[in-house]
Formats: sequence, structure tokens, C-alpha cells
Amino acid sequence: MPDTTETIVPAAERPWDLSMVGPYLFILPAVTVMLAGLVYPVIQAFYLSLYDWKIGTDFGDAPYVGTRHFIRMLGDENVWESIWVTLRFGFWTISIEMFLGVSLALLLEKPIRGASVFRTIFILPLMVSPVVVGLIWRYLFDARIGWINYYLGQIGIEPRVWLGDASLAFFAIVFTDIWQWTPFIFIIVIAGLQALPSEVLEASKIDGANWWQHILFVKLPMIRSILLIALLMRLIDVFRALEVMYILTGGGPGRATELLSLHIYNRAFDTQQLGYASAISVLLIVIVFLLSFAILKMGNPMSEKADI
Amino acid sequence: MSGVQLVDVTKSFGAVNVIPPLNLSFAEGEFVVIVGPSGCGKSTTLRMIAGLEPVTSGAIQIAGKDVTWARPKERDIAMVFQSYALYPHMDVAGNMSFALRLAGTPKDEVRRRVHAAAEMLELTEYLERRPKDLSGGQRQRVAMGRAIVRDAYCFLFDEPLSNLDAKLRATMRTELAILHRKLDRTMVYVTHDQIEAMTMADRIVIMEKGHVQQVGTPREVYNSPRNLFVAGFIGSPSMNFLDAELRADGPRVTGQGFDLPLPPRLREAVDGHRSRQVIVGLRPEHFAAPRTDGGTEASSLAPVDLGVKVAEYIGSSQFLAADIGGRQISAAIEVGPDSAPLTSGTYLFDTNRIYLFDETTGDAIT
Amino acid sequence: MSSGPVNITAASVAAILIATASLANPYEKYEGTTIVVSWPALSHFSAAETLVEEFTEETGIEVEIDALQYLKLRDRQILEMSKPEGEYDVVSWVVMWKGEYVSKGLLTPLSQFFTSGSLVDPHYDIDDIADAYLQNGGVVGGAKGYLPGVSGALYGIPFGAETSILAYRKDIFEEYGIEAPTTYDELTAAMTKLYDAGVPALTSRGKTGHQVTAGWLLHLAPMGGRIFDDEWNPVVNSPEAVKAAEFMRHVARTGPVGIETFGFGESAAAFLQGDAAMHLDTLKIAAMSRNPSLSKVDGNVGYALHPEGNRCGSETGGFAMGIPANAPNREAAFLFIQYMTNKAGDQRMVELGGDPIRISTLQNNTEGFDEYPVVAAQLPCADPDWRPLIPEWNEINIDVLGQALTQVITTDDPIQPIMDKANEQLREIMEREGYYTWASYRDAR
Repeated sequence: MPDTTETIVPAAERPWDLSMVGPYLFILPAVTVMLAGLVYPVIQAFYLSLYDWKIGTDFGDAPYVGTRHFIRMLGDENVWESIWVTLRFGFWTISIEMFLGVSLALLLEKPIRGASVFRTIFILPLMVSPVVVGLIWRYLFDARIGWINYYLGQIGIEPRVWLGDASLAFFAIVFTDIWQWTPFIFIIVIAGLQALPSEVLEASKIDGANWWQHILFVKLPMIRSILLIALLMRLIDVFRALEVMYILTGGGPGRATELLSLHIYNRAFDTQQLGYASAISVLLIVIVFLLSFAILKMGNPMSEKADI
Repeated sequence: MSGVQLVDVTKSFGAVNVIPPLNLSFAEGEFVVIVGPSGCGKSTTLRMIAGLEPVTSGAIQIAGKDVTWARPKERDIAMVFQSYALYPHMDVAGNMSFALRLAGTPKDEVRRRVHAAAEMLELTEYLERRPKDLSGGQRQRVAMGRAIVRDAYCFLFDEPLSNLDAKLRATMRTELAILHRKLDRTMVYVTHDQIEAMTMADRIVIMEKGHVQQVGTPREVYNSPRNLFVAGFIGSPSMNFLDAELRADGPRVTGQGFDLPLPPRLREAVDGHRSRQVIVGLRPEHFAAPRTDGGTEASSLAPVDLGVKVAEYIGSSQFLAADIGGRQISAAIEVGPDSAPLTSGTYLFDTNRIYLFDETTGDAIT
Repeated sequence: MSSGPVNITAASVAAILIATASLANPYEKYEGTTIVVSWPALSHFSAAETLVEEFTEETGIEVEIDALQYLKLRDRQILEMSKPEGEYDVVSWVVMWKGEYVSKGLLTPLSQFFTSGSLVDPHYDIDDIADAYLQNGGVVGGAKGYLPGVSGALYGIPFGAETSILAYRKDIFEEYGIEAPTTYDELTAAMTKLYDAGVPALTSRGKTGHQVTAGWLLHLAPMGGRIFDDEWNPVVNSPEAVKAAEFMRHVARTGPVGIETFGFGESAAAFLQGDAAMHLDTLKIAAMSRNPSLSKVDGNVGYALHPEGNRCGSETGGFAMGIPANAPNREAAFLFIQYMTNKAGDQRMVELGGDPIRISTLQNNTEGFDEYPVVAAQLPCADPDWRPLIPEWNEINIDVLGQALTQVITTDDPIQPIMDKANEQLREIMEREGYYTWASYRDAR
């Protein structure tokens, strides 16, 4: 019997073929778009922050100021105040939106009569453009002709200058944001709840969980990754929120409602300090990055395997 | 009255009635298997016992208490689901102890019982793993463990083995039977697999389209199937059914390609009947090869001509796909492991094992 | 004297002959040219569109109008004017922007055209244009860079310019026996009286940012205050400035509800809808009060001079028109501006519902325009220095004063410290921008 093993010499390595570079080739367009659309503007913002450029002048003539904008920013109490406003805004809106969105999702999850109609009505605010949201609420909150003061007047409450008082205006933007974004949490959570395996939920009933234990120990932990995604998206949104506040209050009174993004907008376009505004944008990117990173540390929803 | 009782229980989904009035009674400590094809209402029945599905009418009693409208946690039951239904966000210990923790059991007690159950199920080394890091069999055992630590009055199983591979399923069947003996609790087990029913049950409930077809021990339902459905459902491979003429002279049954004398048991049953059309039932395993050693044939064995199409060798037996007078049947012939492939010819059938069924009602003639 | 008529006719014929001997008309050379005009979408400018059509008909010069919301106007114009070759032949700017435009070299000095005999109509009579308007809207480079002075040069002609007058509800004043106030003391007393009677007194702008600052500035100049002294030292914490701030607080307390959120539109609406007894801001309120779709108070509005504190000083603002340095058709653009702002054009603007810029027009149209005599009397003391039009003004206006004054009208905090702090921040900005290098240079020597 001839020994065939000796005639077969295994190749030292896998012979080259197109399939080895295929995957890289396929992600190339995505990477290109990402670099051009995401990374380039960030680098550009950073670059701009090193110059003192005014619109209408040649950028080539703009004086290089190095880190002067950044140094000014670190000592600028307006910037810190606006970060503080943003954090407070984020805390109140996100926690109330999460609570309301999750509660409503839990209530409307069951296919009871009329729930689907209510669900549709309920997500309407999400479909309204932020500019329109700002306009609607600006007129509702208007001190002189607004409905809110009108109806409060009907029950004998003195008219209030909703958008002209620091704490009332803050309340107004929080309220408007909740009005607009609770539906977002609601849809995401209700989608997550409906995808939960029914047997696990039944198992917890048999295990003796009462209504709130059922929600707290089983349902919510099981949609944890969805809650995290919702939280992350809202948090990033808070730092991007601009249109509604711009129209509703313009950041006022004072800086009571001037979120960081609006502060940047006002610096860049109202007071024409583009370089300085860019420096603050860089700070914004850093803050959002750190917050997102912290949340992803708590549990990366993208890395988890599908739950059984 | 202890155990589990269902009294005139019905269930409708809208206008569709899926369970007609149903009466069942399980004794305390009994292992009952409810078996039937999918859609027969067995799972709905189990879920009504568990309290996951409200009854439309009727009453359910567990351990002598009326629990018809009680919530699941008030019924003193534990349940194992087909998908195991483990909590993905808890580790094995957490899954097993969840019910105890909810009930406010002291920590030491919880730990002791979880460890005892884990020991019994050989899960001790996996206590800190999440379900997603376990194999199917291990998950199955965790689901089992979760039920065991409860020490409930009644255990409910909803097709718990159907997601396992065949070998594991056989092992788990044995383990479940052992477990039942150890725990000595009432167990209600739902499956569509008659082997599970036969191997584990003290009593089998066979259901079809919401109706109970027969209740009995494995022996009873195998040996004395009450009707065509039970006869066909219990036993593997399934019983062969052939149209035949019952002839009062003899008495005997004849049909295309066979002519079999009735055994004494049936002779009495058909005594006084006139000749008529019946359905005759022959189990595959009651066929036998013709004796080649020239010994005397037992009086109960009658010759049958089989046209063999395929002979499947499975070790000590061969499964035949054959025909009798043009009708397709199957037969399992014990011929020993060294036999040559069987061919067409005259085989024997044990006439003691003949079943007769009424042509119109399908009920067994006994 | 039978030969008289003959002589006149002969003279006319001679004149016509002379004219045809050179050119049929001064516009002929530019017939068929299309000029592009950038201006705001505001009522004065939409009224002017009819006059633009008449211009095209008469001259053969086509005009394309790019009307933008006025807040977007500057970005668009700057973008266009900083290109090597621009689209716009005529731009209309808010007077605040003139310094920035000129310092960036974006505008053509009008002297280039006024030196051309073939372009300038001898009957144009630039001296007839209200001086305050012309200086404020058109002259750049005089004292402090934005005020009249021998170093200044003309870059634009006012068009849609304005000053402030007091508008009041005659019916309400009559009901409560109040005379139109001529001084701030009288005004303050009237406001208190109205407020005590449950009538919202004076409406005002009050929204954070440039709106509230504008509201305050209206009172600063008549009270004798300024933003800077002659050395660019900020003086917004001077007694006069603090008094103006105190007055703003009084306005917010006694005026219609919501002043803290009012921009110009909301402030005017409060008056026009009958929710305030007085309006002390631009004269445009007069035209608005006659517009039935805006106003419920037509016929009940009286006008008076902007009250005096320790001096007369109304605002000057609005728009002026000029020619970009990169305009493709500069001569035609000049002819357009001249046509729109000459005596006939100014008169047509009044007929079309716009605001005149010429004293003669104001004097000739008292019928049906109750405010014109008031405006004509107001203009001589209109104050082109009521706010500093320096490039840093935006930041000062929005970031510093806009914040401080919001605190003034929305809180009960003592006013002096607020203005002291604002003054300090203002000084830092001026320091940062190098306004004190001369002073420190001199001190060092």
C-alpha cells in the first residue's frame, strides 16, 4: 500500500484570493462617509477654535490664537452656567421622561380596546418638527394671549410670565421637552416590552412576584439594554437640543434656559465669535463623549448577545 | 379531597370553544401525563391549572382548595416551561432562588435549598453563570431546579423536554422519573410525545380536540385502547388499521390478503353479532418471522402474507414497510442482530393481539 | 406782454434740443441692465416694490429683489459681499451693521458717484434728507467711527429709517384725565396712575438679549446717559444709566403682562391689541396702527415727542441702502438708490404706505398722517449716538447688557450692583479688543 501522506505537502499559508480583502472593501464606503461626514467636521471645529475668525473676512487673514479661546472658556462663568443649565435640564427631562414613558408603556402594553388609537395619538408630538413645537408652546405659554394663562385665569389664577421668569421659563422648557420626547421613550420601551418572551413573564407570576416586583425585578431588567439605549439617545439629544429653546425663550430670561448648544449658537451667530464658539463646541463634544462612555460602561447594549 | 381536580371546566377564546366541559381528577403524589397532538387543548388545560389562563366556566381545586380564581402564586404550584423561561439577567442561583426571595425566606434557608437542588441536578459548579452561558440541557435543569426549590404542592411541566436532542431527552426522562420518586409530589406533565407519556406517567390522559379520549395507566392505554385515536396514538410505530369483514362463522376477520381467527377474548365480545364491516388493528411489533426451526407454532399465531418493500435494519429487529393485499402497513420483526434482510413471504401474527374497532364510531369492540 | 408765452415755449424747446443733442436720458446707457437688490422682508420694503416697478418702466433697468427675513439678512449679505464677484448691486443694512461692513471693506463710498455729473440729479437735494437719518445710516468713519465728523464718508442713503416717538391712546388718556407727557417725570407719573387704575401702561421690548437692551437704550439717551465716554470707558453704571434701568423696571412692573418675553413684534402687538396705553419706540407704530389686520386701536392713537429727561434724544435706526464693493453694476445701482430716495420717490413711498426720510415730505403730508408733524419736530434732536455702532456692539449688547437688564426687570435685586458688574464686563471686552492701548501707551510715557 503506497504511503500517500508523504506526497501531500500542506501549503504554508492560505493562498491569496479576493475574499480576504472583500470585507474591507465592503466597509470602505461606510468608513469614507463616516470620515468625511463625522470626523472631518470635528477636526474642522477644533481647527477653527485655534483662530479668531469673523464671518465675512478671509479665513487666511484670521489671526492664530492658539489655546487662548480654551483658556478663556475655562474661566468663562457663562459657559459653566450654561453647562449647569444643560445638566439640570437633562436631569429633570430625562428622569421624568423615562418615568412617564416607561409607566405609560407598561400601562398600554396590553392589547386593550382603544389602546392602539391612544398609542397613535400619543406619539404625535414626535412627528412635529421642533421648530413647530417651539412655536406652539411659545404661544401656549405666552403671557398676554396664551391659552395657559387664559385657562388659569378661568379658574382664578393670576397670569404668569411663563417665559420671562427664570424658574418658570426653565419649567416651561422642561415641560415642552417632556411633552415632545416622552413618546420616544414610550415607543422604544413598548417595543421592547412586546418583544419579551411571555413564558418568562409567566414564570415570574408563578414564582410569586406581585405587580411591582414583576415590573421591577423581571420586566425592567430584561429591557435594560433598551432603557440604556433610550437614555443614551436622550442624553445626547439634550446636548444637541437647540431649535425648541431657540424659539421658545432664546435662552432667556438671562441665561436661565440657555443650554450649551444654544450658548454656542448665540456665541457664533449673535455675537459673531466663531472661533470661541468652536472652542466651546469642542468642550461639548468632550462632555458628550465622556457621558456616553460612562453609560456604555454601565452596560454596552451593542455588545450583549441576544437574550434568551 | 386532595390532589388536583378539574370540574366541568370549559374554555373559550371569543366564540371558539377550545375546551368542552372537562372533568379530571389527579391524586396527590401522582405523576400524570397529558398527551395529545398539538392543538388538542393540553397546554391550555395546564395553563388553567397554573392560573395563567382564566377558565370560562367550571372549577379547579388544588389540595382541596378552590383555586378557580386564585392568582398563580396563591396556588402553591411550580412550573417548568418549554422554553425554560429563565430570567436572563439573573445567574443560576438567582433564577433558582427568585421565588424564595420573593416569599421572604431567610437567606440561610434560601442558600441551603438552592444548594440542595443544585446538588440533586448537578448544577453546583454553574451557580454563578448566566443562562446564556449554559447548554440547552443545563438550562433545562436550571428550570427544573427553580421548580424544585419551591417545594410546591404541585409541579406543572409544559413540554419541558421538547427542545432537547433525542439522547438528552432520554436521560432527562429517567431523571424526571427519579425526581418524582424523590419529591413525591403531584406532577402534571404535558407532552405530545407518547414515549414520554408511557415511560414516566403513573396515569396518562389522552386528549384530542379538547376531549379526553382515555385516562389510564400506560399498560391500560396500550393494551386496551378505548378507540381508534388512542390505539393509533399510543405505541411506536403506530398501529396498522385495515378494513375487514367480521364473520360470525369462526369467528374470524377477513380482508384483502388476510384471514385471521379471533382470540377467545374477542370471541366473547362478538358473540351474537352478525357479520359486518369492522376495522382491525394490528400493532407492528406483534408480527413475527415464520419459524424456520420447524418447531410447532403456538396456537395463537396465524400466517399473514407480507409483500416487503423495504427492510430497515435496527439491530435486533428489522422494521418492514410492507403491504397486505395492497394496503401499506409497517411491521417490526425480532430476528436477532445477525439476520439477513427480510424478504416477502409468509409471516406470523399473534392473534391474541388483534384489536377490533367499530367502523362508524371508532370505539373498540371488547 | 404778448411775447411771454412764446418766449417760454421757445426756452422749453431749446432745453429739449440741448438734451437730445447729448443723451435722450441719463438712464439710457444702462437700459436692459439687471441689478439685484438685497433687502429685508418688512412692510416698508414690500410697499416699495410698486415704486421699483415704476423705476423699471421709466428707466429700462431691470430689478431683481432678494427679500430676506431681516435677522438672516446680514449673514447672507456678508457671504455675498466677501466673494471676489458678488451677486448684489444694492444692499440694505440695519444701521448697526454699517461699521462692520465698512471695516471689512465691503462697501463702495458714495463719493465715487456723487462726483459724477452724469449720474447725480442736480435736483436730488441731499440736504433735505433728515440729517439724523443720513448721519446714522450712511456716514461711517467720523467721530468714534460711526458718528458724523470730518473724517467720515458717506456709504449709504437711509431708506426705511426711523426714530422714536410716543404713541398713546387718546381715549384712555381722556378717560383718566392724563395729558400727553413731555418729560420722563410726567411719563413715570402717568404710568403709575394708569397702573393703579388697572390699565397696563407702557409696552416695551424686554426679551433677553438685544431686545431688552434696545428697550433700555431708548430711555438712556434722553436721560443723559451713554454707553461709553469719549475715551471708550464704559459708563453703564453712571447715575443716568442706573436711572434708565430703574425706569425699565418701572415699565415692566406697570406695563402689559409678559414684557420680559417681548420682542418688538410682541411689544407692538400689545399696544395695537389694546393691552397697553402707550408705545414709546419706532414711529412705525403709526403705520401699523392704521393697518386693520394688525390694529384694533385705529383712530384712538395720538402722537407726541419722545419725552425728555434732561435732554431731547430719540433713537435713530432702521435701514440704509448702499452699494457693495464687489457689485457688478454700480452705476445702475446708484441710479436706483437715487430714484428711490429723491423727492418724488419719497413722496411715492408715503402714498404706498412706507416711511419718508425727507423733511419736505413730512411737511407736505400732514393730512392723514397724524405722526408726521411730530416726527418732523422730533428728528432735529434724534440722537445718532444713542448706541455705539462698533463691531463689539453685538457682544456687549447681547452678552452683557442683555443679561444685566434681564436681571433688572425680572428680579428685585438692587440695580446699582448689577450695572457695576455689567460695566466691569464691558471694560474687559474693550480691553480684550485693544481699545485702551492708546491710553496705556500714553500712561506709560
